Formats: sequence, structure tokens, C-alpha cells
Amino acid sequence: MWTLAPKCLRFTAGMRGKKRVKGSLVTVKNVEKNFGDFHVLKNISLEIKKGEFFSLLGPSGCGKTTLLRIIAGFEDPTSGAVFLDDRNVIPIPANKRPVNTVFQTYALFPHLTIFENVAFPLRLRKVTNNIVKDKVQEFLELVKLPKEGKKLPSQLSGGQKQRVAIARALINEPSVLLLDEPLSALDAKLRQHMLIELDAIHDKIGITFIYVTHDQQEALSVSDRVAVMNEGEVVQIGTPFEIYESPQTPFIAHFIGETNFIKGKVTEILNEKRAMVEFPDLGSSLTVYQDKSLIKGDNVKLTIRPEKIRISTEKPEGLDEKWNVLQGKVDELIYSGFQTKFFIEIGPKRTMFRVFKQHVKFFTDEKAINWKDNVYIWWHNNDGYIVEVEAL
Amino acid sequence: MKKNYGPFYVAPVTVWLACFFVIPISIIVYYSFLTKGINGGVIHKLSLDAFRALYNPTIFQITINTFQVAILATVIMVSFAIPASYFMARSRFKNFFLLLVIIPFWTNFLIRIYAWMAILGNNGIFNNILLSTGIINNHIQFLYNTNAVILVTIYTYLPFAILPLYSTIEKFDFSLLEAARDLGATKWKAMASILLPNIRGGITTAVLFTFIPAFGSYAIPQIIGGTNSYMLGNVIARELTVTRNWPLASSISMVLTVFTTLGVLLFMRFNRSATESARGQKQKTVAAGAKA
Amino acid sequence: MKKLSKPNQPNQKWAGKKTGKFSLGMFSLVICFLYMPLIILVVYSFNESRMMNWGGFSLRWYEELFFSSGSLWQSFGNSAMIAVTSATVSTLIGTLGAIGLYWYNFRFRKAIQLTAFLPMLIPEIIIGVSLLIFFAGLKFQLSLFTIFLAHTTFNIPFVLLVVMARLEEFDFTIIEAAYDLGAREFQALLKVILPTAFPGIMSGFLIAVTLSLEDFVITFFVSGPGSSTLPLHIYSMIRFGVSPVINALSVIVIAGTVVLAVLSRNVVKLVFQQNR
Repeated sequence: MWTLAPKCLRFTAGMRGKKRVKGSLVTVKNVEKNFGDFHVLKNISLEIKKGEFFSLLGPSGCGKTTLLRIIAGFEDPTSGAVFLDDRNVIPIPANKRPVNTVFQTYALFPHLTIFENVAFPLRLRKVTNNIVKDKVQEFLELVKLPKEGKKLPSQLSGGQKQRVAIARALINEPSVLLLDEPLSALDAKLRQHMLIELDAIHDKIGITFIYVTHDQQEALSVSDRVAVMNEGEVVQIGTPFEIYESPQTPFIAHFIGETNFIKGKVTEILNEKRAMVEFPDLGSSLTVYQDKSLIKGDNVKLTIRPEKIRISTEKPEGLDEKWNVLQGKVDELIYSGFQTKFFIEIGPKRTMFRVFKQHVKFFTDEKAINWKDNVYIWWHNNDGYIVEVEAL
Repeated sequence: MKKNYGPFYVAPVTVWLACFFVIPISIIVYYSFLTKGINGGVIHKLSLDAFRALYNPTIFQITINTFQVAILATVIMVSFAIPASYFMARSRFKNFFLLLVIIPFWTNFLIRIYAWMAILGNNGIFNNILLSTGIINNHIQFLYNTNAVILVTIYTYLPFAILPLYSTIEKFDFSLLEAARDLGATKWKAMASILLPNIRGGITTAVLFTFIPAFGSYAIPQIIGGTNSYMLGNVIARELTVTRNWPLASSISMVLTVFTTLGVLLFMRFNRSATESARGQKQKTVAAGAKA
Repeated sequence: MKKLSKPNQPNQKWAGKKTGKFSLGMFSLVICFLYMPLIILVVYSFNESRMMNWGGFSLRWYEELFFSSGSLWQSFGNSAMIAVTSATVSTLIGTLGAIGLYWYNFRFRKAIQLTAFLPMLIPEIIIGVSLLIFFAGLKFQLSLFTIFLAHTTFNIPFVLLVVMARLEEFDFTIIEAAYDLGAREFQALLKVILPTAFPGIMSGFLIAVTLSLEDFVITFFVSGPGSSTLPLHIYSMIRFGVSPVINALSVIVIAGTVVLAVLSRNVVKLVFQQNR
């Protein structure tokens, strides 16, 4: 689906070393924002490193755009401060902050040509014509639109408008680039393409990028680090890998990707890493991986990603005790080309389990699983994750 | 964050309208509580004379007449305008038809009134034709009565009813009518139960656009009407310029304003869900008038 | 329920034609009603006879209109002058107001907006009467200047409305983008706000010119001796001594309206297309 590997993986492949690290260190300190009685942001503190591609991810209304607008200078926080390097920028108006924004709606000036749109910040500073010409051309080339300068915004496609908006935001050479859901108006294919290009531009320019999105795949695929926000709070900050693989709350597990939740009660602590949990909804007990110090009698919530679960009509052979095996019935299946999503009914309460099967082999080479089939599903208990503990 | 420049932008409008709208209107209110001067004007002594003078059978009769003219004209205009704008909105030539409606709308209003004098006057075309064909022997007085006032009011403000209705109906999804027919509604039933509720905003605007000027009419009854078809506007003008009873002119102005405002408010309340769209509608209508 | 038994029939009946005979009939009636008087004026403007019976074709009323109606043309000159000046001032004030009311939030914004639209909802005669009393109270000599003040007053709400309608089509973000890219308030106004609102400003100006040329009632109250406008002149022609010159004048006015309507439609269209 998304061809980009998470950046943290490429990081290990040594790509980071080539990147020029420029831009500013952005520190958000105890920022609160109230609109009347409504607390949009509740005591947000963040530190965004120089040259980092940082994402603010969350559902709509979580406050991520407000936070971005505070950094840009379009809004004042009710309390708290934003520092660029060591300077508090809250008193500095938007037009004087070394920060530029790529808007969700592009916000290209409809009466100006592409060239003049990009040249706008230079014209304001009364830069001489020759320099303007060269510089605008340079940035139009950066966004791969070297020949569109004479057109009007209305003559460009959505993707092209987005590139112009990026060029225009970068021409002032800001130390931080803010991107407010820049790809949300594009269709899925184009979005993926632009994402790759954004990443390339970031690698080339090397300044700090702060990227706001509600799309977890966008955030996971390009970011160095992601801050997941919900209801005005930052709930987790981490690399895409950490966010996806070890979500700290059910909200994150639910919001990032698809997942299964089951509620259970700890019946026995087997050792430091394993505990026995009884799941009444499933009508069975399973061995569960734990890194949180569980106590016998705790109520817990277990999450397992659907793609980590295997499925077959035949009982799997030769599995050791680290594997959890359940038996159920196919309630629904959705074939979508590269994978099939199964909804499996399990246990006395007919709990639904989602299982994604990737079609690594040619579809018909495997034994087909059909609607109403009885199936076995199993997963390694390292892949299950306790996201919520309620002490006895 | 940047400074809020809103007040700076709005200052000129505020100052201008305060000077030439709010203050003059307040003066009318104030004057209506004053005593009239002997040679016109006012004496700055509070009194309710001007309001007492309203208890007067003549003024009462004129108020009734004003309502009658405005309501009748509005009802006729809107009931013609709905089917006519429906036809325009569904036609292939809608832009041309729109232009056709806008041209008389933009033609000078006194010239349009005069045209009816040329047609209906004692020496007008109508009388000439009737006389020359021998249908009548003496000319008939068509003008200078309430019916003539209603007719010319309709003629003058009909485009005001058509334009907002047209722009609403144009946005209406006509497949809803087909869906209604498909589900078994008759043609008229579909219109009444699907089209009309969905163009309520346009109807509201059309009613307001026609009722307000018709109710505050001055020139039409002055030119086309007789002494029996006086409207409130004429009384105000008479009190102001001829009788020079300024407090009375002011109090009648207040009555006119209050009735207009009440009418507008009542109608909007009655049609509440539609009022939201009325403002936008008005903008679009004015904009359409500009574009056309 | 009966319809279900013959499912195709109703479909065929109404699928072909979109509108019925009734609405066509009403529309035709409306158009005849609107145009009949105008056509009669045009025809009779070429009438030799002074009366409304046909006395043969003649251009004498046009001759009289163009060569011996000095005061009429003077009134027209006054009208034109007032129209242009009041439209310019009201466009300036209305545009700034629209920007402020539409894109900013501040105390009393709602109250100001409501007040600004009120002059459109109040009967004209009230505005005329109140201004007359106001000017009299200030001992202002009624003149072309008072007419200019009155026209600007009733034009402002219309300009406001049209410009706000235009602003509605734009995102506030283009202004934020201007600030973001380093523009100061005045630069943003000059380089971004005014150019994008230009088609609306232009429509507002045209509407203001038309309303001003057209106005009779308010002008009637605030005009003084020697400050006649074209509508006032027409009024006195109608009331005191109808002469067929007015037929000729009507034809010129109607023709002017048609030309203006078509022209401004195209001009606005052109500007709109360029800026989209």
C-alpha cells in the first residue's frame, strides 16, 4: 500500500548521515489554548529537533492545527511559550517569524501568476528583479515546475498548486516549515507521490518540518518522530515504529492502523515477561507478553494487530507455548487485491476478530477460506500488547 | 500574533452610517415626541400630540389601504414569479431570460410608471382604441384609483420577486421532483410537497423584496393614485412639505417603520429555517443583478 | 399503488419535457406584461402626433430631445456627476467595511453589520424624510452635495453586500499566507485583498452607479432649488406637462439600459474569468 518504509528503518540504513541538518530547534513549553470554556490545548510541551521531520497526528478537533497556528503566529496561546532555538517567538507577529506555512487549501493568490506567487515574499522585501528571477526559478525547479511560471493558479492541477505553495513557503528560507494537512485535498495516488517528493525536499533543504495530519499512514511513512494528539493533549511521542508497535493507550492502538481489543483478567504471573490472562469473551485463557508489571487480578486490555494474526482452515502444527491459538468461524470477508480482511467470530459471546491475510502467494495456490468456514487463528504472544491496566 | 485591524477597516462605514443613517433616524424618533412649530418645524417641548393625531379615521383608513395594496401586490407578484422563475431556471435559455427580466428592472422606474400613464390615461392608448372602435362613447378613468396603484406596483417590483426565486430554483435539484413522481406523486403534488418547501428561502426573500418597497411606496400612489388611494408614504410627504407638521410626519414614519419591521420579523419567524438563507440569497441576487 | 402496475407509463409521460405548459404560460404572461409598456413607448416615440393616437412616423421628439431640452441635459449631467462621485465614495467605504466585517472579529461586529444592512430594509421614504429633517436641523443648504451624501448612504449597504459575497468565495488563508510570507497589513491589503476582491468591488461600483442614476424618492426629499437630477426632471415632466419628448427620452434610457446590462455583464464576466 505505502511504498515508503518508515524513516526509522532508513535511519538505520544510514541515510541520515547524508542529510544536512539545518533549521531551528522548536520548543513548545506548557502551551494552553482556550476558546471560551473550551480547552483546545491542555499544557502541551514538545521539543522538535533541528532538521527533524516531525508530525502532529490526531483526529480532527484534537488541537493539532491550533498548535501549528500558534507556532506560525496566527493565534496566541492562552498561556505558555514557543521557542525557536532560544528565542521566545510569541511576541513576534506572523509576518516577522522565520517560519512559513504550507496551507491545506494552498492559499495561492488567485490574481498572481505562479511566478509572482512564488516571488511574493521577495517582492515584499523589494529584492532586485534579477535576483528574484533566479531565485524563483531555482525554487520552481526544486518543486519540479520549472516551466509553469506564467500560468495562473486556476490553470494548475491540485498537485501542482501544492508544489507552488511549497516553493512559495520555502523561498524566504525559513528555519521551520509548517505543513497543515497539505495533502488532504489530493487523491490517494497523488498523495503518495507528493509524500515521497516532500520527503525528498526535506532531505535536500534540511530544515525543520512540522507536519500536521490526521492520516496515520502519511505520518508514519515520512516522519522522523510523531506526536499523537487527542482532545488537546499529546498522548505519545515516538518514532513511527514505536507508535505503531508499542502504542501506549487504547486510543493510539485504535487510531493508528486497525487492531483488535479484548478485555481480560490476570489469573497468574508466569514469569517476568509472561502472564496468564483469562478472557471471558473468548471463553479461554491465553499467555500474554507483559512489560508492565502486572499483578494477579488486574483487569487488562490486550491489543493484537490484525496483520500479525495467521489464519488457516487447518489446525497449525508444531507450535510451542508462545503461540496463542483460537478457533472461530468466518463471519465476513473482504477481498481487496493485495490482501483479504477476515472478520472471525470467536467464543461464546461471538467476539469479532479482524485478521488480515496478505496474498504473498498467488491467491488460488492456497486453500481458499470461505464464508462460514471454521478456521484457526494464531499469533505469537510477543505480538500482543497490553494497552490498559486497571488495578484490582 | 498580529494586531486586529478589523475596527480600522470598519471605521469609515460606521462613522458614515452613524452620521447619515442612525442619527437622522433617531431624530425622527425624537421629533415624534415634540410639539409642532407654528410655522412648521418643531418646538423642543415634549408632547404626545403627534401620536394622538394618529387616532384619526383618515390615517387609519390610509393605513388599511397601504396594507391592502402591499399585501395584494405581493401575493400576486410572488404567485406569478414562482412558475415563471421555475420555467426560466429549467430552460436552456436561462441566461437570456434572466437578461430579459433584468432589463425592465434596470430601466428607470419613473419611465416605467409613465408608460402606464401612456397606456391607461384618459387620452391613453387604451381609451383611444376603445373610443375609436365605438365600444365606449366617453373615456373611462382607469388611473387614479387603488387598482391602478396595485397594477403599477406589481409592474414595478415584479423583477424583485423573480430574481431571488430564480436563483433559488436554479440551485434546486430537479431530480427530486422526478423521484417524487417515481414514487407516485402527481405533478402538482410533487411541486407542492417537494419544490415549494425546498425553495422557501427564495420565497421569503421574494416576499420581503416586494412587500417592503410596496408598503413604503410614495411615487406610485403620488403619480398614479387619486385621493382615495393615498398611502402612508404620501401622508408623510404631505405633512412634511405641505402641512409642515414635522412631529406628525415623524410619528407616521415611525408607524411605517414599525409595521415594516414587524412584518419582516413576523414573516421571518414564521419562516425561520428559511431566513438563514435569505441573507445569502439577497447577496446573490444583488450580485446576479450586477453580473447580468 | 395503481401506478405500480404500469411502471413505465408515468416515466415516459414526464421524462421528455422538463417544464409544463402552466409555467411556460405564466412566464410568457410575465414577459408580455413587462415588455408591453416599454414597446408601446418605443413605438410612440416615433409618432408625429402629440397625442396617443397615431399621426404618422416622425423623429421630431428626438430632435426636440437632443436640440432643445437644455435643462434636461443639465439634470442628466448632475445625475451622472452624483452617480460617479457617490459610487466612488461608497465603493471605497463599503469595500473597506466588507473586508473588516467579513474577515475580522471584534466587539460590536454583529451590531455594526446589522446596522449597515438596515438601510436596505427600511422604506426609501423614511431615509429621505430622516435625511431631510437632519439636513434642515443642521441648516445644511439642500443642494447637489446633500444629494451626494444621501446617495452615498443608501449605496454603501449594497456595495458592502456585493463585496462580501465576493469575499465569501475566498479563503481567509490567502491573507494569512500573505502575512506568513512577510507582508505587513497595508501590503496585504494592497497586494492581496484588493486584487482578489476586485470583481466584487467592480460590481459594487456598477450597482451603486445604477442605483444612484435611478433614485427618485430619496433624491426628491434632499434636493434643493437648482439641484435637479434626471429622475426629478422626468418626474416634473410627467406631472406638469407631458410632452412626447419623454417617449423619446424613454427609448434612449431603455437602449442605454440594454447596452449597459449587456456590457457590464461581459465586463464582469471578463474580469471574473481572468481572476479565476
